[in-house]
Amino acid sequence: MFPKPIEKSSRTWQLGYQALLPTVMLLWLAPLLAVALFSIRPDSDFLVGNYWGWPSSFEMTKNYGMVFGSAMPRYIMNSFLITIPTVIGAVALSCMTGFALGVYKFRGNLLIFFMFIAGNFVPFQILMVPVRDLTLDIGLYNTKTGLVLFHIAFQTGFCTLFMRNFIKALPHELIEAARVEGIAEWRIFWFVVLPLMKPAIAALSVLIFTFIWNDYFWAIVLTQGENAQPVTAGITSFNAQFRAMYHLMSAGSIVAALPPVLMFFLMQKHFIAGLTLGAVK
Amino acid sequence: MRSILKATAVSLATLVALAGPASAELTGNLKINLDTSNPAPRATMEALIAKFQAAHPALNITTNVIDREAYKTQIRNFLSADAPDVLTWYAANRMRPYVEAGLLEDVSDMWADGTDIANELASTKGALTVDGKQWGVPYTYYQWGIYYRKDIYEELGLSEPANFDDMLSNCEAMIASGRKCYTIGNKWLWTGAGWFDYINLRTNGFNFHMQMAAGEIEWTDPRVRETFANWGKLIRMGAFIDDNQNKDWQQSLPFIIDGSAGAILMGNFAVSPLREGGLTDDQLDFHQFPAITAGVAMAEDAPTDTFHIAANAKNKDNARAFLAYIVSADAQTEMNNGANLGQLPVNSKASVDDDKFLNKGFEMLSSNSPGGVAQFFDRDFPAEMAQAAMEGFQEFMIYPDNLDDILDRIEGVRKEVY
Repeated sequence: MFPKPIEKSSRTWQLGYQALLPTVMLLWLAPLLAVALFSIRPDSDFLVGNYWGWPSSFEMTKNYGMVFGSAMPRYIMNSFLITIPTVIGAVALSCMTGFALGVYKFRGNLLIFFMFIAGNFVPFQILMVPVRDLTLDIGLYNTKTGLVLFHIAFQTGFCTLFMRNFIKALPHELIEAARVEGIAEWRIFWFVVLPLMKPAIAALSVLIFTFIWNDYFWAIVLTQGENAQPVTAGITSFNAQFRAMYHLMSAGSIVAALPPVLMFFLMQKHFIAGLTLGAVK
Repeated sequence: MRSILKATAVSLATLVALAGPASAELTGNLKINLDTSNPAPRATMEALIAKFQAAHPALNITTNVIDREAYKTQIRNFLSADAPDVLTWYAANRMRPYVEAGLLEDVSDMWADGTDIANELASTKGALTVDGKQWGVPYTYYQWGIYYRKDIYEELGLSEPANFDDMLSNCEAMIASGRKCYTIGNKWLWTGAGWFDYINLRTNGFNFHMQMAAGEIEWTDPRVRETFANWGKLIRMGAFIDDNQNKDWQQSLPFIIDGSAGAILMGNFAVSPLREGGLTDDQLDFHQFPAITAGVAMAEDAPTDTFHIAANAKNKDNARAFLAYIVSADAQTEMNNGANLGQLPVNSKASVDDDKFLNKGFEMLSSNSPGGVAQFFDRDFPAEMAQAAMEGFQEFMIYPDNLDDILDRIEGVRKEVY
């Protein structure tokens, strides 16, 4: 049933495992390593076909300097201005919907819950044209607000599923005890349930942060230009009319990938807390 | 240098100020969408716009620079949704869908006989005409042709080919020396289309090529087969680098830089990366694609980039003033010089920057292209037709024996498209 721990297998197996693991890991990381290596190469390396060899010179400061000297900081700022409100909005809404669906028994509870889930099964590409027309009609086309509102609406479905199931698993006795004390429902939500949801909120925030940060599709459908576009869409602005600037795009990608990675490491404690929650009751 | 710049700025400012009755101080807004996203052209355009701004201080100009590739997918969107007043695009069939959808402004009034535009930009009027009306103005173009390693040609005792036989015998010598004749990266298809354009223009001539573009000639026509037969000669003798369908055009450059291929058929934009890759002007040279069928007038590909006014623009008078400014001889000289776009100005009164390849291209286009000037395969042919045909070219360059199948397939698409 469970995988046998490697220490208990035979010596040959262990050796094979030890040899294979670094190889597979290297293969797995190869694209990332290539991007990291490309980001410190000079442009001329690409012109003479030196893709995998030793860089002819190290241009780290120059490449990254150009990234920060371009419109990239603006795009990164946009990404933050889009991602953070979306995370706050989607998580706040789903805490409330999750509470309502997880705690109260009412007619249509399950139906509403299924509708939230069903929304996740709609391939978002088919929404492209209607959503674009909608944002245009309300005058939110090519604005960060438009993108944020759409993301909140679309992410709330998944978040609700996550939150509802989490709240459902909380001991119901806690809520009943609070009710017996005569505490108002909103106070139960605020003072009893919400503190218990902290690990779920942290885990969901990291997840949604990465989702939205990495979104490319809606960024190019709903926005254009550096006033509103996030970094995923802005990264190709290094490309020239005829040439792809691999070194600058690589450097830009690394810079753009840092925030979600940092986010993960900062929130790691909550992540692990969320995973082990309930294991030691 | 600074004083020259200053003088140009001043003269441009006066030029704009004196540009007729429209010179009355412009007010209101002007929204410009540009696809000139790479640093040099971007700076060029921004500098030119700044001069326009200086001449019209009361005008509120907003400029929106969009990455060139993203621009191609966004143009229809922003033309219908959030239309700018002025936008960049391409001539010929590339603008036709937007003209037909009623998204571009008819600017025939600017091209009326006797105007400066009509006089100075006559060479590209055809490329900007759809249904007898003009829909934009050109600002830059560049030549296509064969960029070759002069040092390798000299080492092998070869000279620039004057006709197709020379081209083939040069190539034989090149192969005998262990090299390939031409490097090409055909992953994104347009590079192969360049070869088709030239071989077809040289085999059958400009008018035939344009009739094909208009869908009037079957792809299974014997004259079309003749084009492919000539192309096939090069492919079968191994003139092109191997595995070319998996490389993009930039990945094909190392072959000419390290000398394992002798030449490349490309637009003038290849010069700058080749120079950056280490080739000097003594090593790199340019020649016109040689004649194939004797008596067929030489015609060239010279893709033209353009400015247009959106049909939904809110400030069309300001937009017209801007277009008039951007096509003026001074503005075109300035923007096309080597430090900026490094291409050819369209205005006949503008001067070409002193660059070896720009001069050769300018000379070729102005005096040695009597047959006509084409835009480029995917700009002359309708998009669907071009896509199907270019996929066929890619297959042909790898499996020349599949020609019958390929032509039947392309012909099937032609029947549907037109």
